[in-house]
Amino acid sequence: MSTKIALKFSRSNRIYRPSEPVEGKIVIKSPSSISHYGIRLSVNGSVNLQVRGGSAGVIETFYGVVKPITIVNKSIEVKPSGKIGSGTTEVPFTMVLKQNGEKSLERFYETFHGTDVSIQYLFTVDIARGYLYKSLSATMEVIIESDKADLLERPVSPEMAIFYITQDTQRHPLLPEIKSGGFRVTGRMSTLCSLLDPISGELTVETSAVPISSIDIHLLRVESILMGEKFVTETSLIQTTQIADGDVCRNLTLPIYVILPRLLTCPSVFAGPFSIEFKVSIVISFQSELSKLHKKSDPRTPRLWVSISLNFIVEETYLFASKLSFKFQLAMETLPLELVRIR
Amino acid sequence: MMELKDQKIRSRKSVFRMEFRRRDYSAEEQGHVLRRSRTDHHPLLPPSPSFHNQVVVEKNGNNDFFDPLRGLNAEDSTSAEEKAANTTTNSNSQVSSKEWTSFKRFLMQKFPVSKMISIASMPDVIIKSSTSFRKSSESSHLEEVDDPQRISQEDVKVITGQEYVSRLHELKDEINRAWHAEDRVTALKLTIKVAKLLMDTSVLQFYPTLFVLATDVLDMLGDMVWKRIQQKAEFSEDGTFLCSLPENFKASDICSDAKETCNNWFCKVGSIRELLPRIYLELAIFPCWRFLIDQPLDSLQRLVMMARGVVDPLASAYCRLYMAHCARKLPLSDIGHLVTCVNDTKILLMRHLSAKEDGHFADKKRLLVSLMEPTIEYIMKCIFENTSQSQRQVDSVLLELGLGRNQEDSYGSSPGISFVLHHLLKELPTEVIRSNFVGILHLIECSQDHYFDQCLNYRLLGFRLSESRSKLDIVYSVVDKVIQAVAQYDRLDQYVTVVDAYMDIVLQNQIDNHLKTILEGISKRACHKEIHEDELESLKSILMKLLSHFTDLHDVLALDHFLEILDVMYGNPRSNINMHILSMATRTGYLHDLSTIQLLFEISQSLHDVIDFGSMKDDEYQQPLRLISRFVEMVDYGTEMERHLTFLVECRGAFGIINELKETLVHSSNCLAIKALKDGRKHLNFVKSCIAFSEVTIPSVLEHVVQFNLYIETAEVALLGGLVSHSDGLVVSAISCLECFDLTDGSRTSIDAGGMLSSIQKLCSFLVMFPGNPDQGITRFPNSILSLIYSKSWMTPRMKIRLFCGIILLLATLSQDKLPYYPYCAEIMGNDLLFFGDPSYVHEIAALSECVLQNLISFIEQEPPKAARGTMALEACNCIASSFVACQDILEVCWKLIETARLCLRADDRYLQSTIKYLNEQLPPSCI
Repeated sequence: MSTKIALKFSRSNRIYRPSEPVEGKIVIKSPSSISHYGIRLSVNGSVNLQVRGGSAGVIETFYGVVKPITIVNKSIEVKPSGKIGSGTTEVPFTMVLKQNGEKSLERFYETFHGTDVSIQYLFTVDIARGYLYKSLSATMEVIIESDKADLLERPVSPEMAIFYITQDTQRHPLLPEIKSGGFRVTGRMSTLCSLLDPISGELTVETSAVPISSIDIHLLRVESILMGEKFVTETSLIQTTQIADGDVCRNLTLPIYVILPRLLTCPSVFAGPFSIEFKVSIVISFQSELSKLHKKSDPRTPRLWVSISLNFIVEETYLFASKLSFKFQLAMETLPLELVRIR
Repeated sequence: MMELKDQKIRSRKSVFRMEFRRRDYSAEEQGHVLRRSRTDHHPLLPPSPSFHNQVVVEKNGNNDFFDPLRGLNAEDSTSAEEKAANTTTNSNSQVSSKEWTSFKRFLMQKFPVSKMISIASMPDVIIKSSTSFRKSSESSHLEEVDDPQRISQEDVKVITGQEYVSRLHELKDEINRAWHAEDRVTALKLTIKVAKLLMDTSVLQFYPTLFVLATDVLDMLGDMVWKRIQQKAEFSEDGTFLCSLPENFKASDICSDAKETCNNWFCKVGSIRELLPRIYLELAIFPCWRFLIDQPLDSLQRLVMMARGVVDPLASAYCRLYMAHCARKLPLSDIGHLVTCVNDTKILLMRHLSAKEDGHFADKKRLLVSLMEPTIEYIMKCIFENTSQSQRQVDSVLLELGLGRNQEDSYGSSPGISFVLHHLLKELPTEVIRSNFVGILHLIECSQDHYFDQCLNYRLLGFRLSESRSKLDIVYSVVDKVIQAVAQYDRLDQYVTVVDAYMDIVLQNQIDNHLKTILEGISKRACHKEIHEDELESLKSILMKLLSHFTDLHDVLALDHFLEILDVMYGNPRSNINMHILSMATRTGYLHDLSTIQLLFEISQSLHDVIDFGSMKDDEYQQPLRLISRFVEMVDYGTEMERHLTFLVECRGAFGIINELKETLVHSSNCLAIKALKDGRKHLNFVKSCIAFSEVTIPSVLEHVVQFNLYIETAEVALLGGLVSHSDGLVVSAISCLECFDLTDGSRTSIDAGGMLSSIQKLCSFLVMFPGNPDQGITRFPNSILSLIYSKSWMTPRMKIRLFCGIILLLATLSQDKLPYYPYCAEIMGNDLLFFGDPSYVHEIAALSECVLQNLISFIEQEPPKAARGTMALEACNCIASSFVACQDILEVCWKLIETARLCLRADDRYLQSTIKYLNEQLPPSCI
């Protein structure tokens, strides 16, 4: 059995605020005693930017990594050189990310895992054991949420956007039967939302000549990175939440209720070199000849089709699609969504 | 043979010197008779006046009738609640969970799993381990859930329902295992997969089963999550006990760590993409909201709204059912969500049902409605569970369901779904029904769809009406309207279904014109058509109510159309009615009315015709047989005895198969003969024909003992009639019937020894008054009985001893100068007169008795020394002592028998002691 090393934080959910000391212990399990040249704990918080495509991808076919932005980079010696006995050894530690009065390099952005932008705080423990031995190390991510002092007071003023979705509000071509039959879906939805609260709202199908097969709420992230003098923006799907399965009754109000997933969302950020924004799309898919090709009893089929189509739309390539005389059997409305962290 | 026996007797003559004891029977009777005293009451009759009162009271207080079974149940549930309260768990939720369990069982039973289920694109969770069509590696990987290749496979797969079910059970185990192996993510993932199965309603019939199994899994997960969070709230991270949560804890009592975990669960569940599984999963862990907020009512209402997005009527109905179930786990008093559920279901269903249809879809819709019915039933039950007290609340519920009192104008404009109305009607408190009859009637009239029979609502209203004590005028008007409404029905089944429910009301309130209308209506619809099984049941119920309402059968028979309706019935229900009529007819006394007798005869015939002795169990046809026999017994033609005998002959022809009846027939014909005899000598020919009837009938009786008894009975009757030769022949037949009787014939292995013995003993006592025939030998019959004793293997030692004693007693009696009794009309001379002073007569009797005595003693000696032997010895001793004059020989025999008895019995045996005492009195040893 080889020596094992692990980081264990005081909070099981590993959520800390920048001004709070991060406490925990280093757990070393070793079959024999080992001598070392000191145990060091370091923290590295950074914004990693990567351009994979997005609006840049199609036009410039650019691909590359932008230099990451460091938020914090600290290292402390938890234990000077010495010996660790066999068995399990626990070494407690305390690390302060943001000293009071200390001028930090950057703002402590909240942890976010996106496609192009990712904000992470990694704790690494290293046990140096000289040249003969491989040094032991372990890395663990800690989730950072904004300091309470920096947060807005509750309650956030409820900002509700009212939306209408009809055959005329669509920017992409619709199947002729849908276009001619017409439909009207109305509702309202919050556009400013606390991260702890669900996105709420309601939706009513007033009319639709073609039966509806599904209504889904797509939560989208819009990540922008400054490349040179230009922002490269990519929109991608975080989560889909179905709110209607089948041809719902007309004029019956359906609730919109979407819980925001952790890590995949964070307060909307507009920093200099990058920005993270969010959007919500209401997507109505219709039953048409196209979907009837698939067995109706299989609930996955239409949705699969939706997500393929969606990628076309969110990337705003509907013009491209229309050139191929590709008609859509879905209608949508996209609303901006500002996420905030409140006390 | 006889000569040989005589020789034997003579040869033994020298052994005993003995003489029959002289008896003065009338003096003995005087000496032994019990003192008599007058009484005013018949000891066996029940005290009639109070009995009558009881019946009346029960009838008047019909509505207060306390069903003992139901009462027991109520007690049960209260005691269960008490127990629940003691065990610190929420009593309310325990009761409801019990109800839920029984409801699930009911669902499974109502919609059993069909053999095969064909499902397009089988869900992977189900395919995974069902070995029947494991399609190589391709289909056995869970990871391939989203593989589009698979989805496009159009071929329909078939799986047995049982396999599907067992796979779900496996999944449940798997989830349980994963959870306890700390792999909660897998447990959740698998549970979500199970919940997703509920999205597939393509096999309608299977859905309830699927629902029960899947919600089992969901409930299990919900419980595990609840326990985990509870544990987090009660224990700190390192396992030390913090506090135990009180029953009615508040969200503020919960530590942040537990709340965090709870919140995580809701987040995980909230990220499920599909609507239906998301709702199900949140419902499964719904009670956990209590860890976060004190009043989770808002969440419940949101879920109710979310369920509107599920458009499939079946899936949404069952989803709402689960919602009602989960909401009961919380201490909520609100029922608004349930009302919304019902309303949403109604809207959805109306839309679905009003859609265009053709034949195939109509069937499917009917099935759909029947599948959805239990869900509405359950939700309705939940709604009215706690609202029975508050009239205001009920009113508001009604209003919200669109059935409010003040909306009479809009009744017509918004026709309801009739089965929703049905279950509402079922649950509504009786007071509400009572005060809203008119409105409800109107609602029923309005809601007429093709998928749920309107008549069931009328029927239910009838039942509810009869259970609430309403004012007569209301009752009259409702019955009026309903009868009018159902007059529109052409179909018999609908008509009788409704009418059945109103029978009690009509009968109790004596609305005779309606009774007439109803019967006429039934007969109009029932005649000249084939009656269906379920119609039969309703008809049966209606006729039963009629029959049990009237006390006198004639009143029922006098009703118009009653017999016509009876005539269209067949099979089991018909037999039941027939039996009821028969028992009613024979309950009150003898039947004199010719037409009634004729009718009952026909009824008996039809009852008899359906009996299938081959396939029915004994107890199934015993009842009708008994009733028919009873009927035959109760028939009385009065002075028209010839007619009566003809009737008996007819019965024998008609009910030839019924063994028991033949006995009744013989009894009846014997009774008839006696009756004729009492009437005077002029009917002698009729008596002869009665006896001839009996004589001919007896041989067809199966059991020999019965045959024997009947022969003797008839012989007695013949003797009474002075028909000595008839009687003689009958006794001969009786004995020969015993001779034929052998254990080997027939399947019976044991005989009723006691019964047989007393029958033969009875024959002996009968023979006392039977005039001996010197030509045939005076001791002819005792001799044949003796030869029976010697030859028949079924004679037990006890029987033999007693029969020997019986013959000795018979002979001793015959030797008297005056017999103890004579036939009723003394036209026949007894042996005392026939052979008075004839020495050869006395000699023959004495000779035979000596022989018997010897046999008796040697028989007792052969017995193994046991208590039985002792008793036998005592019996023999008593018999001998009372039959013979004490002399040396007799005394010796007696004391020898006493010795034998002493060896076998305990000294303090009372029989032994009293016998010794008797011996000392009768045959004092000093005589020696």
